[in-house]
Amino acid sequence: MIKIIKDAPGHLLIEIEVTEANLDNAEVFKSQVVELLDRNKKNIVIDFNRVEYIDSSFLGALVAILKHAMAQKLEVILTGMKRDVHDLLLLIRLDKVFKIYGNYDEAIIAL
Amino acid sequence: MTTFTKKILLVDDNQLFLKMLSYAFKNAGFDCITAESGADALNILKTEIPDAVLSDYEMPWMNGLEFREELLADAALKDIPFIFLTHISDNELMVKGLGLQAVDYVLKDTPVNVIVSKLNNIIYTVQKQQELSKNELKKAAEALNVRSIPQSVPHVKGFAIDFWHQPYQDIPGGDFIDFIQADERRTFIVLGDIMGKKWMAWFFTFSFLSYVRAAVRFGALSGDYSVASILRKVNEVICLDDVLKDILSSLSLILIDNETQQISYSGAGDLPLLYYREKTRQLKQVASDGLLLGLFPDGRYTEQNIHLEDNDRLFIFTDGMTDFSAGNGKKSDYNQFMNNLEPFLTHNQSFKALEQEYFASSTSEKVDDCSIIQIYKVSRYD
Repeated sequence: MIKIIKDAPGHLLIEIEVTEANLDNAEVFKSQVVELLDRNKKNIVIDFNRVEYIDSSFLGALVAILKHAMAQKLEVILTGMKRDVHDLLLLIRLDKVFKIYGNYDEAIIAL
Repeated sequence: MTTFTKKILLVDDNQLFLKMLSYAFKNAGFDCITAESGADALNILKTEIPDAVLSDYEMPWMNGLEFREELLADAALKDIPFIFLTHISDNELMVKGLGLQAVDYVLKDTPVNVIVSKLNNIIYTVQKQQELSKNELKKAAEALNVRSIPQSVPHVKGFAIDFWHQPYQDIPGGDFIDFIQADERRTFIVLGDIMGKKWMAWFFTFSFLSYVRAAVRFGALSGDYSVASILRKVNEVICLDDVLKDILSSLSLILIDNETQQISYSGAGDLPLLYYREKTRQLKQVASDGLLLGLFPDGRYTEQNIHLEDNDRLFIFTDGMTDFSAGNGKKSDYNQFMNNLEPFLTHNQSFKALEQEYFASSTSEKVDDCSIIQIYKVSRYD
């Protein structure tokens, strides 16, 4: 479901390995990222470059992860989103809640 | 009822047997995934959920019983029907396996076509059982008169209101609609979408609906008809409700005042509404700025007035209308939905015609619950 690409001081870079982020994998995704937050106590940068479609169940999981991170004073940053996926987040105002960057290089400047 | 291709996961360290079995299952119309070890299978199960697992018992590193134990420990996997494949007719092994809630045993020397029929029967029985339970649940909900979708539309002077709703795979889901007539003047229109699908989401629609109804009624009692103020109250309560922790919902809340003929609107993480002006024959987005209900105690809700001229229309809808299955996967495309809708409106199609010719005609491509409400400003001369 997710792959750890980089374990850097202060943050982890992970990649979502599925192209359809939906109800079938939302719960697994949430528990894996929550476990990473609890174990590493580091900010998390999530790379979406493989994701072509995201449904509301997965968005719910993403927001639950954000709330979990905020309670620990950690950040969740989203990068590499395809246009359709990014457009959906804009339409429902999740861009006001998440920090979203085009790629990892832009994201680490903000961290 | 719609039929779906059954997906099966075959686990066996014997590649030849795996190939033979996989060939037979594919020929019988199954979607077949194979794994050569329990560890491989667990990896596959992280991204794919089959209708049944057929696993060898004797495998190196992790045998079938150990693999079964791993599945049982995972809430997302424990209920997938599990069948053991074994060379040996060993009573002790069977007892152990049944203790691990294996549905059945199949001896490996059973003819392949018999194995396929047996699996087919098991999946059919499990699905039938689930369907029966769902029907029971539906009947109970109907008996208690709990509905997340109304049966009729309200009559509001100066306007015609219509809606269309299609649950995903015919199972009630997270979309909810309500029409609340607060008094003789004011009608509230509610459209929400719990983030999630099917039964789990459906269950939570009632909690959200109860809070919205209560906030509207309490508001009316104190003379507060502000839609933004109602959303603020609903959101605050939801953020405090432990049962709804991690449950989020979008919500569009509309108030029609039949005396002033004004519409006011406030939204929580909902898709922009579409406003069709008869004069310009164009659709325009009407966006709100509030966050999803349950996200933060300060949801930043504001409201705006929407003025409809005669024959103008306002559409409020959930993301099921803009998500669809394309040739090589699923897609979410708000603009495409809007561009496809516009020509129907310029040809002055009635809502009934829109339902039949646009919304319902593409239901096979839908990937989520679909709900759309139309508010039509009736011409003074009609």
